[in-house]
Formats: sequence, structure tokens, C-alpha cells
Amino acid sequence: MTSNEFKILFTGPMGAGKTTAITQLSDQVCVSTDVVNTDLEQCNKEMTTAGLDYGYISLPDGSGVRLYGTPGQERFQFMWPILANNAAGVILLLNGEHPDMEAHLDLYTNAFSNNGETPLVIGIGRISSDDFARIDRVTEKLAAKHLFVPVISVDVRECEDVLLLVETLLCQIEANEMELMQV
Amino acid sequence: MKDRNPLSDSAVAMAQKQLHILQDSTPGITSAVLLSSDGFEIATLENDKGKASRLAAMGSSLAAISSAIAKEAGISECSRMIVESEEGVVAVMKVPNSSPPLALAVVANDASKLGQLIWGAKNCCAALSESLKAAS
Repeated sequence: MTSNEFKILFTGPMGAGKTTAITQLSDQVCVSTDVVNTDLEQCNKEMTTAGLDYGYISLPDGSGVRLYGTPGQERFQFMWPILANNAAGVILLLNGEHPDMEAHLDLYTNAFSNNGETPLVIGIGRISSDDFARIDRVTEKLAAKHLFVPVISVDVRECEDVLLLVETLLCQIEANEMELMQV
Repeated sequence: MKDRNPLSDSAVAMAQKQLHILQDSTPGITSAVLLSSDGFEIATLENDKGKASRLAAMGSSLAAISSAIAKEAGISECSRMIVESEEGVVAVMKVPNSSPPLALAVVANDASKLGQLIWGAKNCCAALSESLKAAS
């Protein structure tokens, strides 16, 4: 990886929209490892990611962002640290309609936040954009874990929404770096 | 094994039998799992269920990544993948024409010979493909 290029990771449970988000943003054809989904009980969709997703955004200053996505299912957990290695930050996507959303929040923040050291942004999909009560509850749960991270309502099918997540994460990464420099 | 196996009990029993035939006819095989392309074990020689589940999940990830790299390299569809070490081999092979798509992951120690292992696993996949087609 060259110095003006960095890596961000999309994670979250099955069906949260990681592959869609990366496909929305990437300027190149994405690498996809989609396979037929047989676990329709968990999520009623035709295909699911078994390996990883990969896309790339070129920035106007010649730098670029590598976008990686994890498989969502817990049985693919062995891929998570492999993909998280060297990531500058993580975008956690959650499905706001899922009854276990708060358990997912716990599982993925424990796996990826590195005790608050890794810059993190949370996008919650499939909730109405003015469902502030739900976002507040997530923020409170995070605060109880001493995690203070942006939580945004998103529709991953909208490029602008995904871009907002990435821009917010880039701000988090920059703020983190400045903090480190001051230390 | 998961409760809602995508195959019928009789198909699973048949698959199990094919895995035993493979193990009995090929030296060095220490473990084998028939898996769905999204990482569930369908049938296994492995007594340790946790190990079988992990092998199924890893086998499906490797198969999916192998397919992606074959596509990227313009060599069409990947049919098998071999991981070799001093101490043994892991081979992941797709079961032709299976629905839902299935793959076979075989683990062998250094008593195995690669050519023999691939030949055995390929025959096993062909037999699985035939018997599952007949069962459906």
C-alpha cells in the first residue's frame, strides 16, 4: 500500500448492505465473492458474501481509498481480523429492522473498535430518517461502553448516504491523527 | 450440523457414504467436509462438530475467493483450490451441477500423494453430483 492510499473496512451483520455500499462508491468494478445464500431464515436474500468485497475510490489529489467489506455471518469471523489488518477506520452498518440490532451492535463494536482506538462510524439502515429515538438509544448503548462515535441513519442504495459515512469516517481518522500528534 | 440442512436426510446419508468411500480408498485423508457455498457443513468425516463448522466456513470463503481471482485473471470458473504445506494438503473442490452449489474440502497429511488425492476427491465430487441428482 502506498502512503497516500488507505484502507477502510465495511462490516456489520448479514443483509446490512455492505456489498451494496461498496458497489455504490467504487470507481472500479468491485471484486465480489457472492455465493448462493441458503440461510433464508437469517436473511431472505439470494446471494451473500463468503470471502470479501473490494472496491476503490480515486480521490482528486491522486490518493485513493481502498474499500474492503467483511462477510457478515459470525461463522466467517476468521476473515474479520484478516480484513481489519491495517484498516485506517471501520464503518459498521446495522439493519435497523432486525430484532437483534442491539446485539449486533455489541458483537461488531467488540470485534472492530479496538477499545475505541480504531476510528468508527455507524450507519443504521432501514429506519425512517427522523427516528431519532432509535439513534439516541444506540448512542447511549455506545456511551455505556465508552465509545463516542457518530451514528447516522442511511440508505446504502443512495450513493450520497454512503459518501456521508465515508466522509464522516475520514474526519474521525483525521481527528484521531491530530490527537495522536498532540500527545 | 445445522438443523435446517438444505439437503434431505437420505441425500445427507448418501453424501456421508461417499465421504467414507473417499477416505477408505485414498491414503492420508484425515478430514473431509461437504459444504454449501455459503459455508454450512452438509456432511463430514470430522467427529469434532466445531472443527467441521469452521472447515466448512473457511472452505466456502476460499472457494469464493478462488472464483473471484479466476474471474479477475480471465481463466473462467475456478474448479478447485489446493493449499500445500510440508505436512499436508487441503483441497477444496466444487461439486459439479449441484443445487444449492456445494463444495468438498479435504484435509490430508503427508502420507497422501497430491495426484492421488486430487483424483480421489474429483471422483468423489462426480459421485456426489450423480447421487444428489438422482436423489432430487
